[in-house]
Amino acid sequence: MAFTRTYTEAELLTGLRQYNNAAFHYLYENYRGALYNVILQLIPDKEIASDVLQEVFITIWKQIDKYDETKGKLFTWMLRLTRNGAINKLRSKIYKSQAKNESLDNYVTVIEKNQPEPATVNLIGLRRQVHQLREDYKNVIELSYYNGFTQEEIANALNIPLGTVKTRLRNALMELRKQFV
Amino acid sequence: MDIKEYISSGIIETYVMGLCTPAEEQEMEQLRLRYPELDTAVITFEEEMEKNLMQQSTLPGDATDKRILTALNEMGKSAAPVIPVQYPKRNWLNPFAVAASVLLLLSAGLNFYLYRQTKKLPVISNNNTLPPGDYEVLKNPAITPVAMYGVGTHIICRCTMFWDKKTGKMYLMIHHLPQSSAARDYQMWATVDGKPVNIGIVQDDIRGRFIELNNVPPGATAFSVTLEKAGGTTTPTIAETYLEGKI
Repeated sequence: MAFTRTYTEAELLTGLRQYNNAAFHYLYENYRGALYNVILQLIPDKEIASDVLQEVFITIWKQIDKYDETKGKLFTWMLRLTRNGAINKLRSKIYKSQAKNESLDNYVTVIEKNQPEPATVNLIGLRRQVHQLREDYKNVIELSYYNGFTQEEIANALNIPLGTVKTRLRNALMELRKQFV
Repeated sequence: MDIKEYISSGIIETYVMGLCTPAEEQEMEQLRLRYPELDTAVITFEEEMEKNLMQQSTLPGDATDKRILTALNEMGKSAAPVIPVQYPKRNWLNPFAVAASVLLLLSAGLNFYLYRQTKKLPVISNNNTLPPGDYEVLKNPAITPVAMYGVGTHIICRCTMFWDKKTGKMYLMIHHLPQSSAARDYQMWATVDGKPVNIGIVQDDIRGRFIELNNVPPGATAFSVTLEKAGGTTTPTIAETYLEGKI
């Protein structure tokens, strides 16, 4: 695939909103690698991950009219859809029957017993950086970003105050951000 | 509010990554409008994150590329508008209507096994939109709003029910709920005595409108919205709960 034309973000958005095929092809070409990488961090199985990638791009197509650029960049929005798509897949019955169940209970048991975490994950990219964080920071990021649990659910499961979850999550993300640069 | 402290609290990172609570998200959206430096800080982090993640790329392979691009082309061909299904307006408080509903439910129950394929569930559609002047009813002091929040990964979802304690009428407004695919429908449920009772299938085009709900069972203590197969179901798929709220 070779695309000769490039788009500014505004041009791209106009094309997407008109359901222009070339714009969607460009979007796919440009972002598939980054988004696929995000999915692989949650779902290491390449086949399932590429199914999720397809679902994500279909969702982008269907929801592009709901995207509001005053609330965030296109990439941020797509990243959210991608993570949601991967987490929905992780929680789906089909995935659970195929892969090891990474439920909250499962994870908490692991944390409590101080065992190595579920070894389904071949750590890549950001997730490897997450695993270099201190233990309590790593746990909240794992549970929230990679497993999709809400702050309340994490507080209940780990039996710590919601305020503590908030602080750990924020500090952990700021710590990660330092490593970006 | 000390905006500098807020900016450096880690809330921006939490917000952009989509890990906020609904309350934090709402607060951030309001504050961004008031403090340009906050807005700039949010955009700066978004750009940083995009740059970082764009550098960590894994290609899915030619076969996947071909499959997805074909699927996207197909989407372009098969875009069809959703047509709302007609559903007659009914007032469930009317004793005759209640009796009729009970009979209908009994009959539906009996018929369910026989006519499983053809059974149609009630639909919450555009037909029940309040005319603009009628929005006044929502200012009635007897109206209690019941916020419904996104569950789990669906934290961006939001809707509000308005419950008129005097008349027992219920109104619904969906603020945010992702579009369902053609193969799926959202379905709304009430909890009565701890058990889920179907209210109806949520039509895609009722977002942002006030809808009068005709089908709310008396004694409901909580409400939820789940994503089900197209045409709905008789028991909610709890794992697919998008919205939840308690009276």
